[in-house]
Amino acid sequence: MVSAPSFLRLLNRLALPVAAALTLSACAAKPPASDPEAVRAFEEINDPLEPWNRAMLQLDQGLDTVIFDPSLAVYKTVVPQPGRQGVTNFIRNFRTPVTLVNDIFQGEGQRAGITMGRFVINSTVGLLGLFDVAKHLDMPYHGEDFGQTLAVWGVDEGPYLYVPILGPSGGRDITGYAFDQLVLDPMAYDGQGGNPFLRTVAYFYGLAVDGKTRAASALDDLEASSIDYYAALRAAYRQNRAQAIRNGAPAPTPLLEDFDDFDDFDFDDFDFDGGGDPFTGLDGATDQPHEEIAAQ
Amino acid sequence: MKRSIFFSLLFMFSQSVAAEDAWRTNPTSFINHFAEVGIDDILSANINEADKTERFRNLFNEGFDIPAIGRFVLARNWRRANDTEKQAFIALFEDLIVYTWSRRFSIYDGQTIDVRGTTPDGETGTLVDSAIVDSNGESVSVQWRLRKREEGLRIVDVIVEGVSMAITYRQEYASVIRQRGGLNGLLAMLKQQVSALENS
Repeated sequence: MVSAPSFLRLLNRLALPVAAALTLSACAAKPPASDPEAVRAFEEINDPLEPWNRAMLQLDQGLDTVIFDPSLAVYKTVVPQPGRQGVTNFIRNFRTPVTLVNDIFQGEGQRAGITMGRFVINSTVGLLGLFDVAKHLDMPYHGEDFGQTLAVWGVDEGPYLYVPILGPSGGRDITGYAFDQLVLDPMAYDGQGGNPFLRTVAYFYGLAVDGKTRAASALDDLEASSIDYYAALRAAYRQNRAQAIRNGAPAPTPLLEDFDDFDDFDFDDFDFDGGGDPFTGLDGATDQPHEEIAAQ
Repeated sequence: MKRSIFFSLLFMFSQSVAAEDAWRTNPTSFINHFAEVGIDDILSANINEADKTERFRNLFNEGFDIPAIGRFVLARNWRRANDTEKQAFIALFEDLIVYTWSRRFSIYDGQTIDVRGTTPDGETGTLVDSAIVDSNGESVSVQWRLRKREEGLRIVDVIVEGVSMAITYRQEYASVIRQRGGLNGLLAMLKQQVSALENS
């Protein structure tokens, strides 16, 4: 039972960030052109909507408190780990077209073959995808999405965006997500009777609960160890996406001088305050010394 | 005859001493050694939480080059800081990591580490690629960035699923320093965070 004061607190928690974002200017001020170092830092952070995004993170944390934390708690209590793994396997199998088409878009023939093989094996032997049998046959799962495809095609990541429920994203990745969900996800072709809207809501709710359950401990660690969770999450998201775009290959060595001959190294030659996406080798590797780019 | 036995024993002994010490300089053995000590003497050891935290602090100091990580994390602000500020930062940063990682000791559930290979990294360094595998067979990719120091190898960064600890802290602290108007703001917030974690 929710008492009146705690209900008000919840309401506050949800409404305040939105109100704050609307009253404050939603854009981070761009530094004047007379300060080129600051302008460069601003462009590397690539988060012009930072005040808005911070409010959206706060809103999302409110939604977690009200909706998802209770859902996750029930889910974890009612369904033990093997069952939750089954749910994850089923969702991955159901969404095979998203991965398969993007494998093909990226010209990854071998990975497309693995995705196809997994679908055939797991849909049959794996009982409609509940069991990941293919994993044991040297066909491990990998995900792909249209955001990654756009990156491979050379599209910039665009401004950082924090989207409630979905989490960290960006101009490129949210576009990719829309394409995946509207065109590639089989749920987009749900033409059965009944209430398709309700089914879609239930489907996305299921995706969110599964995704949040799997991400919970990592995000919890990041939050506990950070004093600016928003900035830490932004940095972690971009690096994790960069790795996904590289299909898991290790990142190029960042600024090895930092770890090595530190005292001879002039930090003012670089400005990595905000980060951008320096390690993909795809999105403008602004932070890397040139010889490292050449060495790749 | 006796003599040859003596020499072969001596040879075996020297081999085993070499093997025992090889982990200090061989990247794969170094990570395996680190994981073994971590799992046997800390995670699955039958001791209380405070002892585990203390043992982890020792292992962390032995295995990581904390000052180098601190310098990397503070970046430009390191050069602008005075010695007192630098020492204060390193001490708080060590505490932060020790207490953050300690939180997870209690949920250790038999995960093992599987070293998959090494690649040269920088002029004298090595990147060790590994997977942490849980009982469901799900694995998390973890890479260890190692550097040669006089005392042996030291870890300067841990990269989990592409997310570098050092880079993430660096970008986060840059943001804090910008908002709080300087390093002292960061130090004050770190102090708060450390005591919150210590008491949790």
